[in-house]
Amino acid sequence: MPENTNNKRMFTIWQTAAAVIAGVQREKTDEPVLDVAHLTKSFGTKTILDDLSFHIESGEIFGLLGPNGAGKTTIIRIILDILKSDHGSVKMFGKVFDEAFKERIGYLPEERGLYQKITVFECLKYFANLKSVKKPDDRIDFWLEKVGLIDYKKRRVSDLSKGMQQKIQLASAFIHDPDILILDEPFSGLDPVNTKIVKDIMLDLKHDGKTIILSTHQMDQAERMCDRILMINHGKKVLYGTLDQIKADYRESPVMVVEYEGDLKPIDGVTGMEDYGRYAELGLEMGTDPQEVLKNLMESVKLRRFEMKSPSLNKIFIEVANVA
Amino acid sequence: MLPKTLVVAKHEFLATVKTKGFILTLILPFIILLPVMFTSGYVMQIATDSPRNIGFVDETGILQPDGIFTRFEDIGDAENALLNGEINSFITIPPDYLKTGRVFLYRTGGFFGSAPTGLIEAFLIDNLLRDSDVDETLSDRIRCPVDMEQITLNEKGEVEEKQAVQFLIPYALAILMVLSIMTTSGYLMQGIVAEKENKTVEILLSSLSPDELLTGKLMGFGSAGLLQICVWICSGMLVVSLTSLAGIFQEIQISLILILAIPYFTLGYLLFAGSMACVAAPASTMKDAQQGAMVFTMLAILPIMLLGVIIAAPDSTVARVLTYVPYTAPATTLMRITLTGIPVYEITASLLILTISVTVVIRLSARIFRNAILMSGKKIRIRDIPVYLKR
Repeated sequence: MPENTNNKRMFTIWQTAAAVIAGVQREKTDEPVLDVAHLTKSFGTKTILDDLSFHIESGEIFGLLGPNGAGKTTIIRIILDILKSDHGSVKMFGKVFDEAFKERIGYLPEERGLYQKITVFECLKYFANLKSVKKPDDRIDFWLEKVGLIDYKKRRVSDLSKGMQQKIQLASAFIHDPDILILDEPFSGLDPVNTKIVKDIMLDLKHDGKTIILSTHQMDQAERMCDRILMINHGKKVLYGTLDQIKADYRESPVMVVEYEGDLKPIDGVTGMEDYGRYAELGLEMGTDPQEVLKNLMESVKLRRFEMKSPSLNKIFIEVANVA
Repeated sequence: MLPKTLVVAKHEFLATVKTKGFILTLILPFIILLPVMFTSGYVMQIATDSPRNIGFVDETGILQPDGIFTRFEDIGDAENALLNGEINSFITIPPDYLKTGRVFLYRTGGFFGSAPTGLIEAFLIDNLLRDSDVDETLSDRIRCPVDMEQITLNEKGEVEEKQAVQFLIPYALAILMVLSIMTTSGYLMQGIVAEKENKTVEILLSSLSPDELLTGKLMGFGSAGLLQICVWICSGMLVVSLTSLAGIFQEIQISLILILAIPYFTLGYLLFAGSMACVAAPASTMKDAQQGAMVFTMLAILPIMLLGVIIAAPDSTVARVLTYVPYTAPATTLMRITLTGIPVYEITASLLILTISVTVVIRLSARIFRNAILMSGKKIRIRDIPVYLKR
């Protein structure tokens, strides 16, 4: 067996053992990983967060959703103690947040950035040292291997493409084996191949028992990956719970999906229409008979296909955002 | 495991000392001074050796040759001797010399050689006095009428003796102090703005507190600045010890200057760096930060602008006030020490005021840094500062 394969195997064993030991050492508690209560924050006269409360359970992928400017990043910064809230509290593992908890959180901010004039290794080592990682070199090799950039270890960061730098940044968020990962728009700017790599890493980490907070406005990703979500708009909670619960709440407002030819015109009983030219999603008013809608549709367009389904998270998001 | 503040300090120190700009500022004194040291001896030799063999063509008949001056019968012979390197230069004395005083000096080109005017004047005076009735004492005075010594009185009427070159020392010290403080605090400002521009500051703040980050930066950049000033002082002392300037330093309280240079540099650096952090944290670009820092740059160079006043009257009210003003104290105090005996109470008061100012400025800068570091896309406005302080 080649020596480097042996080394990798030994490293994986070591890493697994270390994770087990670390898991045993870290306190076991029934408390939520994160408990946010009555969070309020204003900048000047503008209220950014308005009495927001939620909690995050251990090992779940928690979606923090909302339109741009809703207050998602402000929540994250308060959780990380980068910003102070005006009112409310943040508890982690049942305790009031303090600086020591930062070592248990990995953070990928929305605005990506790395030191451009140093090597990938130097950059990751600096971040690892700031997180008090005991054997940073091994962790750096492990994560560079995982994101497929081990050959770029000694290269200057500025020599890497934007996508590569994004993966380096992702590695920097995981380098210290955190319990909680806060990922702010992790798929933003990634091509489909790298999106899959990032998604697979997130799922691996979830299987390892890590808690992931996924802040995004890409509803399709959130719908596929999140166990529970919190949707905020203008700093207020508008949706909160498991996806099943939320979708059940909107089951009375089904969506009709149609593929058609012709000009789609407004139809009675349809509250919201997402029209793409040849494809449309029609939100039906509560109690509307889909047969009536179909009949009206066929008067104006030639139908190719139709389907009734529960509203997508995207549809719910748009509806809720518009109402708010 | 290093505390996080030291991790930041180490990172900033190494990042700074590895830059080309920093390395250049370290070796620049050597680049400038070493060639001067090695060539100064050669220049001196040329300047002193070259006039030792001078020819003359005398059409008045009053001049006699001596150990330096050789007689030539005509210009042609003298020219040949000059071109063959037998003499360094020659003069011709026309028949109407006694009436006009006019002589002609012939010499070959040469970068370092200077006209041996003094030697020629002394040679002519010796020959003119040779057959006169003037006594020896008077003839000595005619040869050397002035041996001037400058005497400066302080405000109390006490005599202070100084050599002209000594005035260069306060000037050099002021420049050195201002340059190193401004360069080092400039590095800090650049570092803060660069991390805002490359968006790394938010990652850093997810690992440590803003206060730890600012403290680490102050320590890291400060250490780089201290290294810079130590290298400059050591290289300066090396140059001095190898040249004739050593004697001048014996008359100055050099040990006192060196003892005070470290606290004044450290406090001065913290004051300016803290002030720079106040303008760098809310700034979105380096240009914005530099505009905001202009006022501190002006304060830093004020002692240099008022150098003439300080040198002329180091115990004047202006010089004393500048000693107590925190932003001008480091350069002013070090200048004054070389020029006058500053009372201990003035130095103590100056250091005390500086320490209190540093404490206040660092606290303010930490607060502004904490509240404004994630701001972007806004110009620095003075009216926003209370807002940053309140948050």
